Amino acid sequence: MNIAGMGMVSARGRGLAALEQALEQGWVPPGEVEVKGLPSGRLLVYAVPAEAMSDKTVLAKARRADRFTRMAVLAASDALQDSGLGATVDKSRLGVIVATALGPHATTFSFLDGILDFGDAAVSPTAFSHSVHNAAASYIAMTLDVRGPTLTVTHFQFAFQQAVLLARTWLNDGRCDAVLVGTVDELGAVMHHVCGRMGKPAADGRIKPFAFSAVPETVPGEGSVFFLMTRESTGAAYALLNPLVLSVPDVISPAHRGGTLQLLDTDGMAKDETAYRTAVIPGMPVAGYAPLFGGLLTVSAFQAAAAALMLEKQRRYASPVLDNPHSLSLLHETSNTPLDTVLCTKLDCTGRPAQLLLSLT
Amino acid sequence: MVEEKVLITGMGVVSAAGMNVAETLAGFTSGIRNIGRTTPALSPLDYPVFQVSAPLRDSGNAHSRTLQLAFHALDEALTDAGLPHDLSGLRVGVCMGTTVASQLNDMDFYTAYRKTGEPPMEPVEAFLKGNLAEAVAGAVKARGPCITVVNACSSSADAVGVALGWIRNDLCDLVIAGGGDELSRIPVCGFGSLSVFSHEPCRPYDRDRQGLNLGEGAGVLILEPESAARRRGSRSTLFVGGYGAACDAHHLTAPRPDGSGLETAIRVSLAQAGIMPEAVGFVNAHGTATRDNDKVEGGVLVRVFGAQVKALSTKGFTGHTLGAAGALEAAFTALALREGWIPASAGFENQDDEIPIGAVREKTAISARYAVSTSLAFGGNNASLVIGCGS
Repeated sequence: MNIAGMGMVSARGRGLAALEQALEQGWVPPGEVEVKGLPSGRLLVYAVPAEAMSDKTVLAKARRADRFTRMAVLAASDALQDSGLGATVDKSRLGVIVATALGPHATTFSFLDGILDFGDAAVSPTAFSHSVHNAAASYIAMTLDVRGPTLTVTHFQFAFQQAVLLARTWLNDGRCDAVLVGTVDELGAVMHHVCGRMGKPAADGRIKPFAFSAVPETVPGEGSVFFLMTRESTGAAYALLNPLVLSVPDVISPAHRGGTLQLLDTDGMAKDETAYRTAVIPGMPVAGYAPLFGGLLTVSAFQAAAAALMLEKQRRYASPVLDNPHSLSLLHETSNTPLDTVLCTKLDCTGRPAQLLLSLT
Repeated sequence: MVEEKVLITGMGVVSAAGMNVAETLAGFTSGIRNIGRTTPALSPLDYPVFQVSAPLRDSGNAHSRTLQLAFHALDEALTDAGLPHDLSGLRVGVCMGTTVASQLNDMDFYTAYRKTGEPPMEPVEAFLKGNLAEAVAGAVKARGPCITVVNACSSSADAVGVALGWIRNDLCDLVIAGGGDELSRIPVCGFGSLSVFSHEPCRPYDRDRQGLNLGEGAGVLILEPESAARRRGSRSTLFVGGYGAACDAHHLTAPRPDGSGLETAIRVSLAQAGIMPEAVGFVNAHGTATRDNDKVEGGVLVRVFGAQVKALSTKGFTGHTLGAAGALEAAFTALALREGWIPASAGFENQDDEIPIGAVREKTAISARYAVSTSLAFGGNNASLVIGCGS
């Protein structure tokens, strides 16, 4: 399964140039928001800047949509455009899979505001219709005229990995010639509060991917990443992407280890990251880019995008935060060193892994 | 690719039509519609609703009513399939559909957040433990693919379709597929704001239909490749033959007027099943009883199957159970093939001149190997399942 195109909207901006710049530049301090109900009254976050979502052309059909949907429409549109297949792919055989952990919760709470402020009989139908999880997928379909299967899925642990697995079945089945598969999750006022109460905010603004802490620190993030996946290589592909869902961590062939990098999806959003100690493959270089984007339950898609870009550029980007209490073989400097495989590892709350293997086309 | 049949080896259903398969079939035979009204605990708005009023089976650590409904149906489906509740020794996938259970929409939590700024976190904890597929997978110790489909009203039809794909791609030996949704204040207010509710018991496909009634429930199907099922001793002759899905790319809440998305979904499902439209004995239609849905869907059914096709909507017995509807109706379709009859389409009396087909008015014998169940949804999603019966 080929990654033929990518699109991303994150705290570092919109597009692959912004992704590349973020990887080159490394960690930057997060922003700060006022948060009701927290002792400090403030929280460090990686929020998508408004200017990253100001494209009125792409968003013309989504002008009534919320931030959640706008992020997804932009990332999906960019992935299709990046693939160069937008004009040629049969839209009846183009599928969409949107994976999200939390859905458009800001709009859900806006709808609840309507009930509490105006009563059950006077709520906004627009807020209701935009509060359903699949509103983003619908707007992607309308914007890109997608007539194939359009699915929205949710999972708190492995939303992206499961979506990739499903995309592969659609391509294998012959159901689709191409699938736009991606993730979107947002931060809103209530989620700021929830993250501040239930997580451990990183006081210095740095997610530490290799601390493997029993009480990990995080900086919440948001954004959307989409991949245009095809079964056959299109010639413009970034990488082959294969899900090794729920596999054991050492499934990768030792023969690949020389040109292989392992990315850990440690972003401080789990209650406990100690299990990652056993998921590191001995001797293999390790990196983690969550400090660039922030912590979110769909961070795996951001890591996969970074991996695909590294494979295409044949460039290894230094891990942005280098705290290394477990003496791992961290990727500590950026270099043009040959790279043929990237293994992205995520563990669920019980320590079970789901992995994505990206390799050269 | 696994080319063999994907059998339905177990089914569990719970809705206002019945607490299990046997009660549901009895209810369909009697024609009794268990409809009530919204209660003050649900919403101050007064509408007819189809509520599950009998006690649910003990569902252990269910964190929501939707999960309780799903566990109730799961228990029946596993028993029907002759399976234990611990499936850790098998390659088991779980794909469930829902709408309400996917949202962090707890009114008490949010009211406290607005008033005090420091709401209790227990509702958030419960929400994070309440992903439908994750919870079901945890309950049966499934370790295969696992995902919750949140495709609005086609969610659990799509979930069955996803399950079919997983088995055909040899990712699982067994899949628990289905969906659930509880009656909730959120859709009561939301659908009310869209003015799509009927103030009387719904009348799918009827000339004088006024709109839909909400319902609640859950449906669970156990799917297995035929060879694996036979090795276990299953004698089921029911199977999922095909799944089609297509998007309208037209409007967030209204179907494409020409129905082309639904037509594509149906034709894809027939092609995957390897059958022609003439092989289909009846269609269990989405049939919400809204003006738009039934008009568009009816037109498509005639285009694909011809004006003679037998059609019904079981929403006259269950109400619109949202994320549970597709799986419940897939199960009802399979049961009808197995039993050799379809129930009267409750609420249908007079044919609409704008819809070129009517629905069946009485319990009707059928003799067919295949039937189709259709689902349409917010977002322009259309899904079609071909259900088969026989060796």
